[in-house]
Amino acid sequence: MAASDDRAGTAANLSRRDLLAVAALGAAAGVPRIARAAAPTGELTWGIHVTLASTWLDPAETQGIITPFMVLYALHDAMVKPMPEKSAAPCLAESWTATPDGLSYTFAIRKNAKFHNGEPVTAEDVKFSFERYHGVSAKLMHDAVATIETPDPQHVIFKLKRPWPDFLTFYSSASGAGWVVPKKYVEKVGDDGFKAAPIGAGPYKFVSYKPGVELVLEAFEGYWRKTPAVKRLVMKVIPDESTRLAALKRGEIDIAYSIRGELAEELRKSPGLSLKAVVLQAPNWLYFPEQWDPKSPWHDLRVRQAANLALDRKGMSDALFLGYCKITNNAVVPYTFDFYWQPPEAVYDPEKAKKLMAEAGFARGFDAGNLTCDSSYANMAEVAIDNLQAIGIRAKLLPIERAAFFAAYGGKKYDKGIIQAASGAFGNAATRMAAFVVKGGAFAYGSYPDIDELFPKQADELDRGKRAAILDKMQQLVHEKAIYAPIWQLGFLNGVGPRVGESAFGTIPGFAYTAPFEDITIKAG
Amino acid sequence: MKRYIGRRAGYSLLSLFLLSLTIFFFVRVTGDPAALLVEPGASASDIAAIHHQFGLDRPLWVQYGIFMSQLFHGDLGQSFYYRTPVMALYLSRLPNSLILAVAAMAFSLIIGIPSGILAAVKVGKFWDSAGKVFALLGLSLPAFWVGLVMILLFSVYLGWLPSSGSGTPWHLIMPAFALGWYFAAAHMRLTRSSMLEVLGSEYVKLARIKGLPQWFVIAKHAFKNALIPVLTLAGINLVLMINVAVVVETVFAWPGIGRLLYEGIAFRDFPVVQGVVLMGGAMIVGVNLLIDILYAVIDPRIRLEK
Repeated sequence: MAASDDRAGTAANLSRRDLLAVAALGAAAGVPRIARAAAPTGELTWGIHVTLASTWLDPAETQGIITPFMVLYALHDAMVKPMPEKSAAPCLAESWTATPDGLSYTFAIRKNAKFHNGEPVTAEDVKFSFERYHGVSAKLMHDAVATIETPDPQHVIFKLKRPWPDFLTFYSSASGAGWVVPKKYVEKVGDDGFKAAPIGAGPYKFVSYKPGVELVLEAFEGYWRKTPAVKRLVMKVIPDESTRLAALKRGEIDIAYSIRGELAEELRKSPGLSLKAVVLQAPNWLYFPEQWDPKSPWHDLRVRQAANLALDRKGMSDALFLGYCKITNNAVVPYTFDFYWQPPEAVYDPEKAKKLMAEAGFARGFDAGNLTCDSSYANMAEVAIDNLQAIGIRAKLLPIERAAFFAAYGGKKYDKGIIQAASGAFGNAATRMAAFVVKGGAFAYGSYPDIDELFPKQADELDRGKRAAILDKMQQLVHEKAIYAPIWQLGFLNGVGPRVGESAFGTIPGFAYTAPFEDITIKAG
Repeated sequence: MKRYIGRRAGYSLLSLFLLSLTIFFFVRVTGDPAALLVEPGASASDIAAIHHQFGLDRPLWVQYGIFMSQLFHGDLGQSFYYRTPVMALYLSRLPNSLILAVAAMAFSLIIGIPSGILAAVKVGKFWDSAGKVFALLGLSLPAFWVGLVMILLFSVYLGWLPSSGSGTPWHLIMPAFALGWYFAAAHMRLTRSSMLEVLGSEYVKLARIKGLPQWFVIAKHAFKNALIPVLTLAGINLVLMINVAVVVETVFAWPGIGRLLYEGIAFRDFPVVQGVVLMGGAMIVGVNLLIDILYAVIDPRIRLEK
């Protein structure tokens, strides 16, 4: 999900007038399109590629993966969340303000926001949901917040222990802490009872759930943003890709998630069906862990630049993902993230790459050892190896099972050769720099002092513009030093059947699934 | 007899204990489940929180002790992925697996036994060769391939049957065929060899010498005796069909125990894998124990053997 944050009213150096104006803007952006639609009708069925877990019905359990949000967007609602119009759009909170010292955030709750049981969303519910949250980044968020005040049912104030410029990023998109559940109901039924029959404030209410098999939802006509157009949604788990496509062709399902490779090509050719591609917030890259070793060829900037020039990203995307991957040339920061810096366009020039290799003293190439990767992306690595081979960099493919790969990658075990990796973790440019670039980063095998110096500066900077400038500089240095060879942001391919009017794929930048659900329609007639 | 049953029951319990120990440690060799619940790049504190939540930060022997203590109370633990009791998950999938297994077994016996008899009676002739080809295809064609071909043919091109899911008898036809196909071939082969053995026995020769009609010799004398090993195998196969129809259930999105096991393995959901394997093991051990006891009842020499 996009973690980009055009935060209304978070800049600590704004005047009161500015803050009011910004808060008003926030309110305006979230103004519900109240034009009441006709009563919801019809049914749409999804073919889901992963197993539906009951934890996805409870925002408190949100793990650091994007999949639970495919359900959360239907069943629940957040104070602030990425929406088509804004990456941090006012939802249950119609507006918010931050004090100039960055220590206090006040949210005003939308008056017409209701839970599925008809009860209004109150400040107590917001506070309860935050405190109950124990998913990804829970400790980070709970440690940062000193107190939560609820002066009246419509207002909630988060007071931080120290200024934290990323508070809203984490509250709105990088965790599930901002998603609100009804306090009274949860206290009455308990955590397990809530997962068995959840009540949310989203556009669809819970009807039934068979663990790992099927989830059925029904339109909630009291949803604040708009009345959903489709009466009933059925999410069926169909693990096999070929079966999902067959079910889509037969009209048994209307939307099929994740159809890849040749099946995607077949889908594109099938009459009546359409292929919908979504660019994920997960960039893929090559990393050169030996670059800090003066004896290694990778220590020479020209060799790393040559590797960058050798990659035929477009050809690779055309061959493997029907050309739907987004080539940003930013190695670790997705384009939807806050403080993203756009590098110059990626260039494919093997001749220039060979020249650089010769200048670096490797006219006859060199043996680079293993190119280690997550085995699920070995097809990508095979093409990269061919591309590198063309300029004399000879590497052997070493695909490793996903979990083992990331454990060893994070454990700094692959300190020789080349690493191909990716990250879909939530956050912003700063969190990506922390993990993959600066000294001590979980996946950084070395670092450069000039980049390291900038990192604490941006973390302490409350002025958004100045902070953006520092993070831009850091990303620019990553690019100039060719620490990585960026590949792309992966294209996630899906199928849509003939009955669907608006599928809502790709309306929220970086989000893989259909959302907002209240925007989804069935074709007339 | 009591001593015999007691000894066999003791062996059965020992087998289950060893199975529990093996699956508990082997499933942990597959890796860290936390790695699959976070995106790469997640903070160490998030991963540590997951370990703590699942009790994976405790020593292995403590985890095993908790697992066994829960097991003695009929509790298979709580799924990491679903956060619901494994026993409830298992029981919710069991009816689907039973329906599929019974249908697949019926198919495999209806096809396998007559074709095995025919192949044995017409040994070395066309029907025998046809049976061998059938057995070869059944045993060598992967179930997922058979399943996908059936979906293409009967769902996409002909539009006769639903491609996946459950709920109506129409949903059952393709998965039952795809699952039963392999076992039909196995049953056919065993029926054929068993029939050939019986048909060559002295009492069958005597029956023929007495001038009994061929069909009567086959039906009355040969088939009844040849059926015993086939039914023994079918009993074990039924348990396998219930518990490990992983591929067929995945291809047809059939919500059975095999798919639960697949999900458990895919998500490193240790309690689910342990639970499904142990329940499957208990069924196999139970069936074997029953067979041992029945053999002992039928043939006293067995229980007197040391």
